[in-house]
Amino acid sequence: MAGYLIRRVLLGLLTLLLITMAVYGLIRMMPGDPLATDAAMMNPEKMPSAEDLQRMKAVYGLDKSVPEAYIHWLGNMFQGDFGSSFAEKKPVLDVIGARVVNTLKLTVPSLVLAYLFAIPIGLFSTARSGKADERLVGVVLYMLYAIPSFIAALFLQLLFAVKLEGTAFELPLMGIKGDEYESLTDVQKAWDQLSHMILPVISFTYVSLAYYSRFIKANMEEVIRQDYIRTAKAKGLGPVRIMIHHAFRNTLIPFVTLLGLSLPALLGGAIILEQVFNWPGMGQLYFRSILTRDYPVIMGLTLALSVLTLLGQLFADMLYAFVDPRISYK
Amino acid sequence: MCALGIVLLLSIIAVCSPMIAGTKPIVCKYKGNLYFPCLSYFNADWENPVFHKDKFRKRYPKNLKEKDPESWAIWPLVFQDPYRPVRDNEWEERPGNPYSEGSPSRLNLFGTSKGVDVFASMVHGTRIALLVGFVSTGIAAAIGVMVGAIAGYFGGWVDIIISRIIELVMCVPSIVLILALMALIEKPNIWIMMAILGLTSWTGMARLTRAEFLKLKESEFVAAAKSIGAGRFRIMFRHILPNALAPIMVPIVFGIAAAIKVEAGLSLLGFGAPPPNPSWGTTLNAGMTNYTEWWQIVFPGIAIFITILAYNLIGEGLQEATDPRLADPKD
Repeated sequence: MAGYLIRRVLLGLLTLLLITMAVYGLIRMMPGDPLATDAAMMNPEKMPSAEDLQRMKAVYGLDKSVPEAYIHWLGNMFQGDFGSSFAEKKPVLDVIGARVVNTLKLTVPSLVLAYLFAIPIGLFSTARSGKADERLVGVVLYMLYAIPSFIAALFLQLLFAVKLEGTAFELPLMGIKGDEYESLTDVQKAWDQLSHMILPVISFTYVSLAYYSRFIKANMEEVIRQDYIRTAKAKGLGPVRIMIHHAFRNTLIPFVTLLGLSLPALLGGAIILEQVFNWPGMGQLYFRSILTRDYPVIMGLTLALSVLTLLGQLFADMLYAFVDPRISYK
Repeated sequence: MCALGIVLLLSIIAVCSPMIAGTKPIVCKYKGNLYFPCLSYFNADWENPVFHKDKFRKRYPKNLKEKDPESWAIWPLVFQDPYRPVRDNEWEERPGNPYSEGSPSRLNLFGTSKGVDVFASMVHGTRIALLVGFVSTGIAAAIGVMVGAIAGYFGGWVDIIISRIIELVMCVPSIVLILALMALIEKPNIWIMMAILGLTSWTGMARLTRAEFLKLKESEFVAAAKSIGAGRFRIMFRHILPNALAPIMVPIVFGIAAAIKVEAGLSLLGFGAPPPNPSWGTTLNAGMTNYTEWWQIVFPGIAIFITILAYNLIGEGLQEATDPRLADPKD
């Protein structure tokens, strides 16, 4: 087990090295550099002189060749220095840190909600497979699954922020807090935050809800056709016990993969949704830093997300051995 | 069946888009010759040079009458252009499109977006939506199944290397990879976008294929096939793949839907097919800047919803049809 872990960690480090290298190469290949996308530079009156430009390039480390700059970045990174954001002129860790909480505010509630509802719905659908109520649930889930989250978000915005404007059901269109947030009392502040969260959390949750419950049902359908389920039935076990003890447990392996894969999404958020809701989270940061060619921020985010993805995969593989005694890492 | 009908209908709309909405005649007789100017909506080069020479400047109705009184033409069902606003009196006695607040009316069935008719853009956008789904998922499925099958069947070093590569690609969220790749290209077009979508979305299928192959290669029927001397690739693709196909079909068909979704999302972010290319997502993008013009959100949103729904339903049907395990009567 320990040997397996060490091997995985070493492989993970190699993967990280390759990813950061590839992404660094990729972003440096993009046309334009941070200096060219800076709005102040567009002003013809404030056009910096050639020497100034050269000086700024040196400050940003853009005068180095790509491999040289990458090794420079890598060296600094090992000393805990991720560089400074070009756009915000602050250390990358601070820029990301300020965003992480905002994204977690959306992803954690939605992940919990999705699992909380998906497992019972999946089990219910298998148990009642083919019956009228299961078909209805199935159709509704289908419909939900077919609406991309950003379109649902736009529709929700239209309904709650535009159509219901001025009524008791009005919810804020976008953003993370109201304009007059500072002047509110504590209770009002809490409501203000909550009300801004409602629409994004719904948009985040429902697609994964539909996906997870359909996923569970698909796997359950396969399992309940196995011989050991028939045996269990023949033994005279009740339907609940068969469902949960004998069938659901055997669907855990693919389910665990899903859990592992959802870890990076937890921090990564969703670029499109955060853009729609103008939510100052990680996804929006990623999008903006690609647009402004903010190399240090892109690299920091890539590294963070890659570490999480690898951890998620490792976590899933570890859980395999836990949920399935047939699998062991020797 | 209903879903197949919808996809068929969408395909017909896509193929016939210039005949449904456009400002160029489907057929016209001009100076003694027959022309099909509407085909230039598929490819700008297909516009007959005679119209260029006679300085039509894409204004057909008046020019046809003025330059050749004998001419006749069959017009599309809806006289609107997906690329530009229709101006006053372009068609005799017909007012142009309002630039803002162009809510749905008799002339603009789905309203206008900065003067461009939303109905026309959506009809022409169908083409892009369907193409994106098929082409990019085709690329992704080909790569994913091949890579996954090789990794799962051969195991050992091959598996380790391929799995690392898959991990590598998976570690970077696909939307980020897509955005980065799109940013690389100075002049992205819809084909490049499809290729990028395909190249970034095969990992899930590869992993699933690999897992299925890992499981199935230990089974008796593979041992039996080996014992009668079947070759590796024969075992992989003739014996294991059909048995693994049912679980793999799910991500493939959902992949088509996902590709359509991602294309709309990218266009929504302003990263899609560059304007003035009509795409459902581009219209959504315009709607996002002005929520009071609801028709720019509602109509494309419903179109995307219906398309994705239809593909999902087809996927489900296929899955039920191809999975022998589900064919058994339930006991």
